Amino acid sequence: MLASSVQRSRPERYPSKARAALVRRIVLTVLVLGALTLLTISFRSPTAGALHDAQGLASSALRPFQIAAARIARPFRDAYDYVDGLASARSENARLERELRQMRKAYLASQSKAEKADELEKLLHYEQSLTFPRDFRPVNASVISFPGGPFSRQIVIAAGSSSGIRVNSPVVNGDGLVGRVTNVFPHSAVVTLLTDSQSYVAARDVQTGVRGIIHPGQGGTLILDQVSKERPVRRNDKVVTDGTRDPRYPDLYPYGIPIGVVSSVGISDTASFLQVQVEPFADFGSLDSVAALVPIKRK
Amino acid sequence: MSALDGVKAAVLLFVAAVVQVAILAQVHVLGGVPDIVLVSLVGVALLRGSVTGAVGGFYAGLLVDSAALGELGLTSLLLTIAGYWIGRYGETTGRDRTHAPFLSVAVVTVLYALGVLVVRFVLGEPAPAGAVLRGLGPAILMNLALAAPVYALVRRLLRPLDRDELSTEVQLLG
Repeated sequence: MLASSVQRSRPERYPSKARAALVRRIVLTVLVLGALTLLTISFRSPTAGALHDAQGLASSALRPFQIAAARIARPFRDAYDYVDGLASARSENARLERELRQMRKAYLASQSKAEKADELEKLLHYEQSLTFPRDFRPVNASVISFPGGPFSRQIVIAAGSSSGIRVNSPVVNGDGLVGRVTNVFPHSAVVTLLTDSQSYVAARDVQTGVRGIIHPGQGGTLILDQVSKERPVRRNDKVVTDGTRDPRYPDLYPYGIPIGVVSSVGISDTASFLQVQVEPFADFGSLDSVAALVPIKRK
Repeated sequence: MSALDGVKAAVLLFVAAVVQVAILAQVHVLGGVPDIVLVSLVGVALLRGSVTGAVGGFYAGLLVDSAALGELGLTSLLLTIAGYWIGRYGETTGRDRTHAPFLSVAVVTVLYALGVLVVRFVLGEPAPAGAVLRGLGPAILMNLALAAPVYALVRRLLRPLDRDELSTEVQLLG
């Protein structure tokens, strides 16, 4: 009985369960390798190449859908902003009236100084680098993508190289400096905000002329760094971009773009420099439209 | 999975990616941002399995990276793995469990955030661990709030498969 031969069915080479598992693993491996390949190419040449161009085309194709989605959401955002604004309207009105009075005085004083400075420049045949806003034309563009999460401090705007925007073009809004263009496509551009950890801007205190470097601090504020303890910086001083200091290393930003106002000045025995905190003029949380600055070519 | 189901899943993930980039990316609550792409992917992967989850994750990641002009491949890589893992969970121990979508959303939100942190750290990009961990709680709560309506919608679009159509390597006894 035991010795008798038993007819067994011939086993399948790949039973259905094993085949399903094999297919599953192959699909996962191919997709992961594909994603890694894309990531490698994208990381190695972020601003040029075939993949960059393909991404630009895909972005252009997706843009109408993004704009449509943003339009649908706009009434809800406006309603939220309206309710939010009502809560602080009274205190904000008082602050703005106070600021307006100060601005009027400052405007009259600076207007007479500016006229005198123009005359002196002409007399001296004074040559200077590009200044804001005189030597730039704004390319106004709506924001079509926003930073999502703590990693990204970039926005995407609906204008690109076809409008004259280049990598490193400064970007402003009605309030002040927003950031600079770090990647450009034919019809869109990536703007890295001032709050990005890699962002550094040469800046100066308008009132005292003290120079320093602006970089992001805690809680959405900015830090005016590298300011010697002996230099005078006061609360409520205005901070603007400093422009080029060394012709060998031209600054990305022209002189005179408003950045923010000094909110606190600290000094400690252990720190080498003053601890100057700057409240940015631009509200990075609600950027709907911005302007990239393109130099005007003068003869 | 039928071709019609594939089209439905593709349209759903496309809409989710556009809504995420154009609208939800601006919703910052206590440092957290809701992620409707991740929540939609959980629904698709739980109902259609690991292969669909992985392919859906890759496709959704490409859409997000293209629309936001981010590093192409980064989101795809993480969503592919997330989709595959959720799909396997749906095929095996998570099958027919009411809590499966919510548990998957909570766990995958944490793993996705940590995954982004690790990949960015490896690439030498800024990886603010403190900010990520602070925003994780609100992000989980917002994603859980999205989970019920989004999963209901995905379930309406993609009819749950019969047991025979799903992977049967794990047989549930309870």
